[in-house]
Amino acid sequence: MSAANIETGPRVSGPKAARVSGAGNPGGGWRDHLGSLAFLAPGAIFLLAITVYPLVATARNSFYDATATNYVGLGNYKEIFSTSSILVTFRNNVIWVLVFPFLVTFIGLVYGVLSERIRWSTAFKTIIFMPIVFSATASALVWRTIFDLDPHIGIVNAAIQTASDWVNPPGLYPVDVSSGKTVAGLAATGVSAGPQDSLESSSTVTAGNSIELGLIGVSPATLQLTGSQTAVAPTQSPGAVTGLVWRDFSTSNPTERGQVLPDELGFAGLKLTLLRSDGSSAGTAVTDAHGDFSFGGVSSGDYKVQIDSSNFSSGFTGIFWLGTQSLTPTSSLNQTAQALLSVPLVDISMIIAYLWIWAGFAMVVIGAGLASLDREVLEAARMDGAGEWQTFRRMTMPMLAPVLIVVIVTMLINVLKIFDIILNMAPGSSQGDANTLALAMYNFGFTGGLGNWGLASALAVILFILVIPAIVLNLRRIRG
Amino acid sequence: MSAASPATRPPAQPGRSIWAVIRPSRALLNIILVASAVFWLVPTIGLAIISLRPESLFQQSGWWTALAAPSQLTLSNYKTLFGQGLVTGGVLDSLVTSLEITVPATLLVTIISSLTAYSLVFGRWRGRSAVFLVIVGLLVVPIQVALIPVVQEYRAFGSLTGFNPFGTIPGVVIFHVAFGLPFGIFLMYNFYSGIPKEMLEAGRIDGAGEWQLFRRVALPLGLPAAASLMIFQFIWVWNDLLVALIFLGSNPHITLTIFLFDQTRTLAANYWIISTGAMISIFIPLIVFFSFQRYFVRGVLAGAVK
Amino acid sequence: MASVTFDHVVKRYTSDLTVVKDFNVEVADKEFMVLVGPSGCGKSTALRMLAGLESISEGQIRIGDRVVNDIAAKDRDIAMVFQSYALYPHMSVYDNMAFPLQMQHMKKAEIDKRVKSASTSLGLGNFLDRKPRNLSGGQRQRVALGRAIVRNPQVFLLDEPLSNLDAKLRGQTRIELQKLHRDLGTTFIYVTHDQVEAMTMGDRIAIMNAGILQQVGTPGDIYDHPANIFVAGFVGTPTMNFVAATVQDGVAKASGFQVKLPKAVSAGKGTLGFRPEAVTDRVPDPDSAMEMKVDFVERLGSDQFLYGKVGGDAVTARIDPRVKVEPGDNIKLGLDTRTLHFFDSETELALI
Repeated sequence: MSAANIETGPRVSGPKAARVSGAGNPGGGWRDHLGSLAFLAPGAIFLLAITVYPLVATARNSFYDATATNYVGLGNYKEIFSTSSILVTFRNNVIWVLVFPFLVTFIGLVYGVLSERIRWSTAFKTIIFMPIVFSATASALVWRTIFDLDPHIGIVNAAIQTASDWVNPPGLYPVDVSSGKTVAGLAATGVSAGPQDSLESSSTVTAGNSIELGLIGVSPATLQLTGSQTAVAPTQSPGAVTGLVWRDFSTSNPTERGQVLPDELGFAGLKLTLLRSDGSSAGTAVTDAHGDFSFGGVSSGDYKVQIDSSNFSSGFTGIFWLGTQSLTPTSSLNQTAQALLSVPLVDISMIIAYLWIWAGFAMVVIGAGLASLDREVLEAARMDGAGEWQTFRRMTMPMLAPVLIVVIVTMLINVLKIFDIILNMAPGSSQGDANTLALAMYNFGFTGGLGNWGLASALAVILFILVIPAIVLNLRRIRG
Repeated sequence: MSAASPATRPPAQPGRSIWAVIRPSRALLNIILVASAVFWLVPTIGLAIISLRPESLFQQSGWWTALAAPSQLTLSNYKTLFGQGLVTGGVLDSLVTSLEITVPATLLVTIISSLTAYSLVFGRWRGRSAVFLVIVGLLVVPIQVALIPVVQEYRAFGSLTGFNPFGTIPGVVIFHVAFGLPFGIFLMYNFYSGIPKEMLEAGRIDGAGEWQLFRRVALPLGLPAAASLMIFQFIWVWNDLLVALIFLGSNPHITLTIFLFDQTRTLAANYWIISTGAMISIFIPLIVFFSFQRYFVRGVLAGAVK
Repeated sequence: MASVTFDHVVKRYTSDLTVVKDFNVEVADKEFMVLVGPSGCGKSTALRMLAGLESISEGQIRIGDRVVNDIAAKDRDIAMVFQSYALYPHMSVYDNMAFPLQMQHMKKAEIDKRVKSASTSLGLGNFLDRKPRNLSGGQRQRVALGRAIVRNPQVFLLDEPLSNLDAKLRGQTRIELQKLHRDLGTTFIYVTHDQVEAMTMGDRIAIMNAGILQQVGTPGDIYDHPANIFVAGFVGTPTMNFVAATVQDGVAKASGFQVKLPKAVSAGKGTLGFRPEAVTDRVPDPDSAMEMKVDFVERLGSDQFLYGKVGGDAVTARIDPRVKVEPGDNIKLGLDTRTLHFFDSETELALI
C-alpha cells in the first residue's frame, strides 16, 4: 500500500488557501482586496465628511467665538456654567436621565411579563408599541392637548374637574381668583366683604324688616344662565327678615347706585345665611328668581345677612400641567439654586408623554429577552421548590439583567438627546424651564439671528462627553 | 405512610407557559392590561376625534363629548386642508417634500450599508474589525456635534462648486444618510455574519468578482435584514424635525413635521390644523408599520439586543 | 417508602394527539428503572408527569401511597436531572446546589454541610465558586447531580443525562451513576433512547413505543423473552433477524429454510425471530440447515458477523471468528431452536 503523504498532499491553489486563512489574507489577489475595499468608499465618504470630521470641527469651534473665527479659549464653557438659564438645561437633563430610563424599563418589564399570559398579547403589544411610529412632534402635540389647562380642552383637567365638582361643586357665581378678581370686589350697595370670601350686609336688620343688598361685577349673561329675572323690591313680613339681592347696575343709568331700578336684575339662587350678632347662624335661605329672599321664624335681635362664600367658589379651574410650578419647594431660593433644584411640572408631563411613546419599545425588547430564557432552568427552579415570586426574583430577573441593561442604556442615550418633544409640548412660557442641552444647542446655534456657534459647539461637546460612557459600553459588549 | 405533608396547593399548570396560573388573578391581570391598552389608545383616538370636529366646538367642549354625540364628527377639516392643493407650505406640499427626503435617504442608507457591511464581513483586508468598532462607536454619536460643521462644509462646498446644499433637499438627505449609516451597517453586518462564508468561497472559486458576489449572493440573501432596515429608516427620517428644520433653512417647501411645528408657533390656537395635520403625518408611518410589522420589530430588536 | 406507581396514566394534548396511552408501571422502592424507547415514544412525557411539569390527563401517579396528581412539583419530594442540566447560569456551583435547600428554608449551617459533602463526593470541591459557563460538560453534569443529591429526595429522575457527553465520558459516567444509585439507595427513574444504557443500567426496563408501554422486565427477560416484534428488534446489536414464515404441523417454513418449532403454534403466517448469535456454523440438524450466500463479513476480533441472504431473506449471523469466510461464499449454518421466537403476523405478539 502506498503511504499517502499527509503533510504535503496535492498542491493547493490560491482561492483554497484563502479559505483556510480567513481574515487578513496576505496571499489573496490584489484585485480581490481592491474589490471589497472599493465597497467601503461611499460609506466612508459620508461618514468621514458628515460624522468624523465634524466631530473634530465642533470640538475646535467650541473654543472659538460666535462666528467661529476668533479664539476664546474656555470662554464658552465658562459662560455655560455661569448662566443660570443654561444651568437649567443640565438640571432638566439630570431629571430626565434619573427618572425616564428606569421608569420606562420598569413599565416595559411589567407589560412584558404580564402580556405573556393573556391570549390577546399580540394585540396588546401592538397597541402599546404603536406610538413609536408617530413623530415625536405629533405625539408632543397630542399630549399638549391632553394636558391643556382649560378643562374644556384638556382631558386630564376635565377628569379632575368632574371629580372635584362632585365633591366640591362650584357656586352659581364663580369668581375667577386667578385673573385677579376678588369676591370683595362684588360688593356695591349695603354690602361689605365678609370672612373667608363671603359677603355680608353692611348694616343690621331686625325681624319684620327688609334689607337690600346690591352687587356688581357679574355679567348679564351669567345672570341669564342662572335664571335671574328683574329685581323686585322686597315685601316685609312680621317675624321674618326679608330682602333683595340685586345687580346694582342699570344700563340706562350706569352711575346710579343704591336704588332698585326697573331694568336691574335680581340674583337668583344665592345661598344666604342669617347671622346673629355673635356670628352664629339663625337660618338659611336661597334667593328666588327675582333676587328676593325670606328668613322665617326670626326672633328679636339684630341680624346680618351673609351671602355665603360657596356662591363664589370657582370650583376646579385646571392645573397648569405644562407650567413651571416646581414640585420641589425652591421658590425661596436664589436664582441659581432654583435653576438647579426645581422640578417643573412640565418636565413631569413631558416624561409621561415620552413614556407613552417608548414603553412599547422596552416591552418588545424585554419580551424577546423573556422568550429566550431557558425554560428548563425555570422548570428546574420550580422542582427545587421556588414559588412564582421566588422564581421571578431569583431566576428570571438575574437572567434578564443583560437585556434590562441594554434597554436602560439605550433609553438613557435617547433621553440625553431629546429635542422634538420639548420644543413642541412646552408652551412658550415654559420653554425656558423645560430646556435641555440639545434644545439649547439648537437655540444658540440656529435661532436669534446668526446664532452663537461657539457656545452651541461647546454645548454639543458637553453632550458628546456625556454620551461617551455609552460608547464604551457598546464597544465592550461587541468585543466581549 | 407518606412522610411529607400532602400540601394541596393549586395544581401547577405546566406546559409551555412558564408561570402557574391561579384563577382569581387572571381577572385582575386582564383588568390591568385592558386599562393600560385603553390609556394608550386615548391620546391617538382623541387626536383623531379633534381632527374630525369643527373648530368652533373645540373651545366649547372636550373631544370626549363626541363619543356620546357622534353627529359632531365631520371631515371638513380634512377637506379644507386637502382643498388647498399643492400650495407651497401647505399640507400636501409638505407631504411631498417629506417623501422627497425620506425615500432617497432610505434607499441610499440601505444600499450603502449593505455594501459597507459586505466589505466588512467578507472582505479580505486587514483592519476590518477596527473599522467595525469605529462604526459601533459612531452608533450613539448625537447629531448635535455635526450640525454646525456640516453647515460650514456646505458653504465651503458651495463656494467651490457653486452648489450649496444648505437649504436644499439634497442637503437634508446627505445628512440623514450619514447618520443612518452606523445603525444600517451594524444591522447588515450582523445579518451578513450569519451567512456561511462557504457560499461566497464557492463563488470565488468559480471565478466571480466581488461585485458579482455582492449583487447575486449577499444582496438577495440579505433582503429580510434590508427590509427591516428600510422600514426603520423610513419611519425615522419621516418623523425627523431637527435636521430638516436646520438644513432646509428658509426653503419655502417644508416637511410635515416642520409644518406641525410651525403651527405651534402661530398665535392662534388653531387646533384644527394641528390635529388634522398630525393625523395626516401619522397616517403613512402607520400604514408602513402595520404592513411590515414583523420587519419593523425585528429592526428594533436588532438594534437593541445583540 | 418511595415506590412509584403509574396507574392507567394518559397524556392527551388535543383530541387527536395522545402522547402517553394507558401507561401502567410499578417501580419498587430503591429500584433503578429505565424508561427506554425511540424519540417521541412518550418516555420523557411520562417522566415529566411524574415530576409535576406536565399535567395528567387521566389516571393516577402515586409516590409511595400518596397520589401526587394535584400536588405541585416542589412538594413531591422528587429531584430531577435535566438533559441539558438546566444549571442556574447566574449562580456559582455552590449556589446552584444550595438553592433547593434555601427554598426549603433550611438553616445556613445545614445547607453548607450538605453542599460541601455532596460536592466532595462528586469531585467538585475546587469548583464551588465557578459559574456554569466556566465548567466542562462533565463538570456541569455533576453539578446537576449534586443539586439533586443535596435534596435527599425520595425519587431521582434522570432525563437522558448522558446524551450530551462524549463517548468516553459517557462510559465513565454510566458506571458512576450506577455507583451513585447503590450508595444513595434511592429509587431511580432513568429515561434514555439508548438500549445499551437501558440494558446495562436498569434493574428493570420499561420499553415504550408511540405512547404505549410495550414490555416491562429485567434486561434478561426483555432480551430472552421479548413480548413483541418491536421489543425484540429494539434490544440487541446487531438486531434480531426477522424472517417471514408459514407454520404447518409444527414446522415453520421460510423461503430459504425450515425449522421445527419448539412449542406448538396454530398454523398460519407469521414472523420467525432469532438473534445473530443463535446462528452457528455447526449444523446439528440437517433438516433445519440454512444456506447463506454471504454479502459482507465484519471481523471484530472477538466476533465475526456475516451479513447475507438465506433464500430470499436477509440474515445476520454471529459465528466463531476462526472460521474463514469471504464475501461471495456460500456457507451452511445451523439454528439454535432453544432461543427461537415466532411472532403473530397481525398482533406481532410473541407466540414463542
